[in-house]
Parts: sequence; structure tokens; C-alpha cells
Amino acid sequence: MSARDVVIVGGGPAGLAAAARLASAGLAVTLVDEQPELGGQYYRRPSPATLRAHGDHRPAGGRLIRLVRRLGVECLTGHLVWGVADDARTLLVSGRPGSAVRLRARHVIIATGAYERTHPFPGWQLPGVTTPGFAQHLAAADGTAIGERVLVAGSGPFLLPVACSLLDLGVHVVGVAEAGRPYRPSGRALTSLRHPARLRELAAYTARLAAARVPLWQDRVVVRADGAGRVSSVTLAAGADPAVPLRTLDVDALCVGYGFRPQADLARLLGCAVRTDPVSGDAVPVTDRYGLSSRPDVYIAGEAAGIGGVHLAETRGLTAAAHILARRDRASGPARREVLHLAARRRRLASFTALSESLYPAPGDLADLLAPALPGDTTVCRCEAVTAADVRATARLASGDLNATKARTRAGMGPCQGRFCGFAVAALARHATGAVPPGAAGGTASDEARECGAHPPTGGPVFPSRQPIRPVPVESLLALGADDDGEDA
Amino acid sequence: MTVRITVDGEPVEAPAGSSLTAAFVGTRRWRLRDHPISGEPRGPFCGMGVCFECEVTVDGRPGVRACLERVAPGMTVETGR
Repeated sequence: MSARDVVIVGGGPAGLAAAARLASAGLAVTLVDEQPELGGQYYRRPSPATLRAHGDHRPAGGRLIRLVRRLGVECLTGHLVWGVADDARTLLVSGRPGSAVRLRARHVIIATGAYERTHPFPGWQLPGVTTPGFAQHLAAADGTAIGERVLVAGSGPFLLPVACSLLDLGVHVVGVAEAGRPYRPSGRALTSLRHPARLRELAAYTARLAAARVPLWQDRVVVRADGAGRVSSVTLAAGADPAVPLRTLDVDALCVGYGFRPQADLARLLGCAVRTDPVSGDAVPVTDRYGLSSRPDVYIAGEAAGIGGVHLAETRGLTAAAHILARRDRASGPARREVLHLAARRRRLASFTALSESLYPAPGDLADLLAPALPGDTTVCRCEAVTAADVRATARLASGDLNATKARTRAGMGPCQGRFCGFAVAALARHATGAVPPGAAGGTASDEARECGAHPPTGGPVFPSRQPIRPVPVESLLALGADDDGEDA
Repeated sequence: MTVRITVDGEPVEAPAGSSLTAAFVGTRRWRLRDHPISGEPRGPFCGMGVCFECEVTVDGRPGVRACLERVAPGMTVETGR
């Protein structure tokens, strides 16, 4: 096995920033990403045609990627880290079809990012219903419009730039429906808060929507989508009263999402302690202010350590890198000063995130509002086509136990492994028994062992992590077994 | 530069190097498969490799997530519909 100092999992802003810092100090770094190109979601690379026509929509990402490559970082794109070997250290990786790679290093930085938070509703499985992020990537990277008449809905600041990207492509945005009430009638009210730069950005989006006469509805949630083979209409209701429809809109695409969830599966498989975030209900790895997890060799950086946006993500990546360098070079004053400086910046950015978050409804509260109102025939688990009625009936039998409910109904056992339904299944299970008041579903999964299948405490709010983290081709598993040592890249 | 690929036997023009889901959405091909249990049509949802709703067969390789695949000249795609 070659002498590798650091393996970084995830080639988005945090992973790239960490890779560049470590490689510039002369460390041997390997950067792994499942996507075909570096950049992650935020710095997703434009297609060649889009690049020629419109240039790079995120030039900072292009510069960072070129720097990382120039510094000699080993970049394994199209490679999925799907598990952890029995030594609890070696990462199991699937690359090209039929290839298996094992990676081991002195330090691991997990920068696996986030994915979008969804809530089921009748019709959300129709073609043409997507996450806002999908519409954004299609627009920014591929210059492709998700539809011609589009509703953007859900919650969080991200809905605004998505709607604006669609406007840029000439799409008729029929409205933006926000579940909370974060916006004042005048966009200027936002700037009265602290951190004006970021809030000015939001105000600029609301001004752009107003100029294009796009309605911005607040306290509105999507309660159903209809269509024959593809979405053709969407129904909205007030968040507090989802059973009473207020407005139906004709659309050919619906982009709906409720912010982001940290992708922390790998941290959990490695046995890093996680806590249940009280606001979101998500499992978030426990880290110190440098990003070090409960394991002395594993750092968590970027959105995987908690949602905070690109600046915080990059700062977390840099902080983890600087901390690794300072640990290697104990006597160095400059290294320690760099770490302290970055940790302070990290704290400031995190406090802005908390402020921005407080403008929008807490995801856990939303789930407690929306899940009980779901009609029984709603498909909750898209992968296994499990309905809300199935989940409720089983959860009642299982006294609200989430894992028993999962095992019995198969909700959360399909290819997405509960990433899109898990949040709602947990809420349905909580409410099915009526025994657990909202917010008190409690139980952290921090004592969860790395053995796959380890159960969080009964009634725990999240599904456990299992390997493979994503479905892996059988040929990759066979390749791993055929050569006992695998292919030590 | 657009290149020609084949989707379910039909020729489709798509920009080289764009994501395969963009080629589908750009030509209004939303229905990529029918769900094995419910029989309902399904199409791309997350666009970032998490939901597996956009799995298609590319050049004989099954289970390829179209959102992680780039359009290449002569590519042959079969959807599950």
C-alpha cells in the first residue's frame, strides 16, 4: 500500500479547499468523488456547450479544481466510497465497472456534502416533479429548462436563486411557494439584519422575482400534484392547515424541496459519534471546532458537518487541512495561528447560518405538521412504493419503532436507502402511536457502532447507515473478493 | 456541438458532454421507466445520483444513473419504459 497521507471523500468546495491546502504543503492526497467531474454540486462544471455559450457560472470552482490538479492531488472521479473494511479504517471503493479499490491513509476527511430534503405528498412520484437542485443544475450546467411553466416550492433561501435561474432561461415561473414567512413585504427589510452581504443577495433575488411579476407566496406548501404520466397541476395549502386546498396551478414541472440534509453515512459507518440536530432532526457528526470527529483520524468538513453554505464549507475544509498540518508540525507557530484564525472564521460563518436558518421553519416542525395530514394512499417511499397508510398501520403495531417499521414495510429499503423518505417515515411513525410529542422523539445515534445494521435506540429519529452506502455493481464486489487485498490504489 | 445518440431505437440530437438527463429533459423524455411494483411512470428526480429514479441502460450497461452520465457520440440508451 502506497504512502498516502490523507484521503478526502468528496470533491466539492470543502474537499477541494482541503486538498489544495494539504497538497501545497507537500502531503500525498487522494480525492475521491462519485460524480464524473470534480466540483460537487455547488461548483458543478458546465457542459462544454454551456461553457462556450455562457462561460463558467462558478469561475472560482474552475480555478480551485485546476489548482488541485496542478498540485498533484490524486483525483479519483467516478469512484464511490461505499463501505469500510473490517479494520474500521480501509475505505472500500467502487470505480469503473468490475474494479474494486481499497484506500487507506493516516487521515480521512469526509466532505460528502448534502442532499435535498423532501416531504412526500400525493403525486410527488410523477415525472416532472423534481428537487429544486435538479432544475438548478440543468439550468446552470446544461442550459436546459426543466419545463415551460414551473412552480418552485418548499422552504429555504435556495428556492430564490433557482427561480431566478429559470427566469434567465425564459421559463414562465408561475410562482414561488415558501412554507414559512421569512420575507417582509419589502425586500429592504432583510438588509436591516446583520450580515448584510448575504441578505442583500437574497433581497436581489426577491427584487428580480418582483420585477418579473413572479408571485412569492408565503406560508404555502404543496399538498398534491396531478397529471397523466407527467405533472400537469399542483395544489397549495397553508402550512398550518394542509387538508384545506387553497390554490391549484397548471404547470409542466414542479420543483420542490425543503433545504438540505447532511450526507453523513460514511462518518456513521466509520463509527464517528453523531448527534441529532434539535432543529432539523438530522443525524449530524459530532466535531470539535477544527472539524475533528470522535475519531482522532477522521475529520468532517463541508455540508456533511451541518448545512452552512459554500463559505462555511470551504472554511471547514481549510480548517481540517490546517489542523492536520499543525498536528504534523507541533512546534510550528504559523501552523497553529492559521488553525486558530480559521476556527474563528468558521465560528462567525456558523453564527450567520444559525441566523439565516432561524428565518425559515424548522424542518422537524414542518414534518410534524405535514406528516399527520398525508392521505393514506400517498406513496411515501418512492423506491418501494409504500403508502402512508402502510407505514402508519405498521408503526402502530411496532409501537412507533422506526427500524421495525422499515423492516416490515420495506419503506427506506430501496436504492435511495431512505434518503428521500426517511425523514417523513420517521415523522409518520412518531405520530402513528401518538405517544411521542413533537421534538421529543429524542435518542441520539451517537453510540451507534460501525457494524452495519447496528440499531440506534428504539424510536430513534433516523434510519441507521448501512453498507454499501449506495447500491454497488455485483462485479465490483466480486472483484473485491477475487483479490484478497483488492487493488491497492 | 451536438452529437447523435440513440434512445430506445430513436435518433436524438444532444450536446456532447452534457448530462444524459439534460438530453432527456431537453427532448421532453420524462418517463424513463415504469415502477416495478406500482407500474407508475417515473422520471428523474434529484439529478445528483441519490434517488436512482433515472436508471437506464447505456451501451449495454444496466443500472446507469443518467444524471451521472455524460452524452457521448454514438451512445445507445435504453430506458425501462
